[in-house]
Amino acid sequence: MDRDRQNQPQGQAAGEPRRRDVVLMALLGIAVLAVLAFSGELSAPAFLAGALALAALGVVYFLIAASGSDPSPMPQIAPVRHEAVPQTSEILVERLPIPVLLIGPGGRIERANPAARAFLGLGAERGLLSTVLRQPRVLEAVSVALRGERGATVEYSTVAPLESHVRAFIEPIRLDVTGPMPFRAMMVLADDTSSKRAERMRADFLANASHELRTPLASLSGFIETLNGPARDDEEARERFLGIMQVQTDRMRRLINDLLSLSRVEMNEHVPPTGDVDLSLLVQEVVESLSPVALRRSIKLSIGQCDTKTVVRGDRDQLFEVVENLLGNAIKYSSDEAEVCVCVYHDRTRDSAEQAHERLTPDSGRLTLTSPVLDADQRYGVVRVRDAGAGIERRFLPRLAERFFRVDGQKSGPRSGTGLGLAIVKHIVNRHRGGFSVESAPGIGTVFSVFFPVSDSGAEANSTVESKVATSTDA
Amino acid sequence: MVTPVSAHIVKAFSEELEQLSADVSAMGGLAESMVTDALEAASTRDAELAGIVMARDAEVDEYERTIEKKIIRLLALRQPIAQDLRTCIAALKIVNDVERVGDLAKSIARRVPTLIESEPTEFAAAVDGMGRLVQSHLNEVLDAYATGNAEKAIAVWERDDNVDEHYNALFRELVNAMADEKSMIEPGAHLLFIAKNLERIGDHATNIAEVVHYLVTGADIAETRPRGTRPTYQGGE
Repeated sequence: MDRDRQNQPQGQAAGEPRRRDVVLMALLGIAVLAVLAFSGELSAPAFLAGALALAALGVVYFLIAASGSDPSPMPQIAPVRHEAVPQTSEILVERLPIPVLLIGPGGRIERANPAARAFLGLGAERGLLSTVLRQPRVLEAVSVALRGERGATVEYSTVAPLESHVRAFIEPIRLDVTGPMPFRAMMVLADDTSSKRAERMRADFLANASHELRTPLASLSGFIETLNGPARDDEEARERFLGIMQVQTDRMRRLINDLLSLSRVEMNEHVPPTGDVDLSLLVQEVVESLSPVALRRSIKLSIGQCDTKTVVRGDRDQLFEVVENLLGNAIKYSSDEAEVCVCVYHDRTRDSAEQAHERLTPDSGRLTLTSPVLDADQRYGVVRVRDAGAGIERRFLPRLAERFFRVDGQKSGPRSGTGLGLAIVKHIVNRHRGGFSVESAPGIGTVFSVFFPVSDSGAEANSTVESKVATSTDA
Repeated sequence: MVTPVSAHIVKAFSEELEQLSADVSAMGGLAESMVTDALEAASTRDAELAGIVMARDAEVDEYERTIEKKIIRLLALRQPIAQDLRTCIAALKIVNDVERVGDLAKSIARRVPTLIESEPTEFAAAVDGMGRLVQSHLNEVLDAYATGNAEKAIAVWERDDNVDEHYNALFRELVNAMADEKSMIEPGAHLLFIAKNLERIGDHATNIAEVVHYLVTGADIAETRPRGTRPTYQGGE
């Protein structure tokens, strides 16, 4: 940036060599065409057309450059641009939020802008492409481009650990270098995850909604028919039916709410949240909001050992939903007068966050429902919710976070849920690059743990300082 | 491998070793995409995609042959020792496992055309979930290989029981469902085989993790980390 400004005074003369270059290039082109025409490679009309086009290019460029030197608001800026062309394009590529790479012979990454490095998790810039991007079709397209044959657009998807859909544009570039391999491959990556997801979410939402709403709707219309017909004057039946209808519509509303919430979360799953949340505070708030429900069945809600100030990176409302869902479940599946206990821990490694040190029973089932990619330096803030309910059989554990899965098919009754709560939790946790695990022993109880990366306030402060510096130089 | 190949006097040797690791990674990527596509074909009931997956197995085999040839050539010409020797041996072993992964992906794909003749079952989602887990293991272990990260490899190695847990649960549920309902037998049997194949892909991922650990540290993972207990607790509770 600074260098640009230093160049400004000399900018005036910058147009000259450029103009000459372009004219020279055009002449050179015509000469090449002439040689080709003489050697018989090129027919006369093609030569004429090519030569005319190049000459026209030269003239047009000259005219533009000439009109550019008129005293208008433009010229003072324009010459600077000419001078700084290599630098500006350099900066442009560097600042581009789109991953751009230049791949050299043998698939070696010769250049990568910061966006590309972040996207591919690149450390050493001159590594081989296949070590960072193992997609066979991309690699193939790159090797085709390196032979100088043709460019291609390749789509690839990854499912795990994170879902992503990427389009890679690969173009051969001929560089002005001596040697047997003048071709490089330019690769531009475009992240299509959002649109692909949105597409699928819509389809999923419709399918799920229509499927799950059919049963309550059918029963509603049945009751309406009965109320319209045989039970029209039956006071007692009317009361009872209206009650059932109320329950069914409540259920439908819950279902739609949960489905909407699930789609929303799923849609943004690949966008990491910004913001800090204090887990201990959050847990207190959730406990307060749910204590009336617990009180009704005289369930004791207690906050166990809480590390103070466990600040994690996250979206407050979503984390609230997570804890509320887990705690709500714990209350729902506890017997009356039981105890539900929530604990918050901070600064755990991934493995110690996942499960408590002590097992519920020696043969309790433990399962990780989702977990972040290992980062040995990352620490997590943990929320564990423990209930003393009936527990969950081991064989059901892997399916807990599946949508619409209910243990033993409990579809109705006072405890009827939508079967979406834990699916929502899982997706929110995924979005936060956190983890979600369960331990359960039938007859003893269940522990659900969720954990989220602790907020790195120190690094955040640094980055804000940096961005301030950057903006001040820009100004 | 990006870092561990330190400079050799013969520059070509360094490059050959680097190229070897890159080839193994590329082959791993191919097998990975076969697993992804095979599962995608199973969940979207796409027989055409399944056919493509089956055809791609030949590519994996071809990769295996050429990489093996390269390794033999390296061993014969350069007579590597220490880290370089480990790089060669590790590549040889990983290529073997990856080839098996390709075979297993192919055999998942082979079940798709018959699977889609029967009605979709509620267990498809469970198989999908297990598939996702196995894919993440495979992905992480290949990442660990490409970056020379032994810790990541250990993490995958230790998490294999998660795959087993999924498999056992699915097995019990499917057997129950098949006992209850006759119409479940046909799709249930196919899903069982798919789950079994996934479980074995998980095992191969663990094998690769062991090799990566050996490659980076030179030590056997089972000696340094006894299996069964998970000695990973750092914070007290």
